[in-house]
Amino acid sequence: MTGPVDTGLAFYRQVLELRAYRQQVLTGDIANASTPGFKAVDLDFREALSAATADASTLGTSQQSGLAWLVEDPRHLRPGGDDLPRGATAAVKYQVGTPVTLDGNSVDLNQEKVAAAENAVQYEAAAGFASQVIKMLAVAINGSGSQQSSGA
Amino acid sequence: MTLFTAFAIAGSGMAAESERLSAVASNIANANSVVTSSGAAYRAREVVFKAVSIDDGSQDPFAVGMAGVRVAGVVESAAPLRTVYDPSSTFADANGYVTMPNVNPVEEMVNMISAQQDYQANLEAFNVAKSLALRTLTI
Repeated sequence: MTGPVDTGLAFYRQVLELRAYRQQVLTGDIANASTPGFKAVDLDFREALSAATADASTLGTSQQSGLAWLVEDPRHLRPGGDDLPRGATAAVKYQVGTPVTLDGNSVDLNQEKVAAAENAVQYEAAAGFASQVIKMLAVAINGSGSQQSSGA
Repeated sequence: MTLFTAFAIAGSGMAAESERLSAVASNIANANSVVTSSGAAYRAREVVFKAVSIDDGSQDPFAVGMAGVRVAGVVESAAPLRTVYDPSSTFADANGYVTMPNVNPVEEMVNMISAQQDYQANLEAFNVAKSLALRTLTI
């Protein structure tokens, strides 16, 4: 979606997608807590987000999905696809400094749980901000917010 | 959606851990099985985990960020079988020794606790992903 109406929303879309991706990465670590030779990974969120937002033109228009829709005009709507923002997979890195067990596994279960909980809170925060942006737009459209404040 | 992949990963972890728990239960149940269907004494079994890509089940174990887990196989313990002197037993050899399973109860208990903890961690990760997905619906 482009245009003045979604100002700010595209950014939160990137944030939410990256937070969900980090949750997936951490879940993968937890699932492999007993897999011999597995090395724990984590998403460098700062790097992923700056890579996603570096090219402003990619905001809100993630890479085209494989599905081809029959459109007669290039301005027609297409599926946005739920692919990850650009550079997200490149920001997944091996965790360093975690203890490695005898079978070569480097997953620290407690650390993973803490990271997953922290990431969940960050996700909730981003979702809350996105809600506020939508409410703000609703106020701008309806004008109901100003009426309420003058009445109060 | 990325969160649904997290569901699949946590689910694969829970499935693998419960299989590990089954192996522990089997070992404890057969700690005194002198004879199995093969005729020899029971040997302790252990599951081996393997990281797999959750998307297409491909064999690349370190496809970053996509790693679910799967039971790659069940191996029998190579520990020496115990021998007990019991000449009255039907299964005693010429010298009066009976070959007993190589199940180590302490090892099995530790393995069980570890499997339980890992299962709980997977369940927690699953619940967090679920609450995030529900939160997304209320944006």
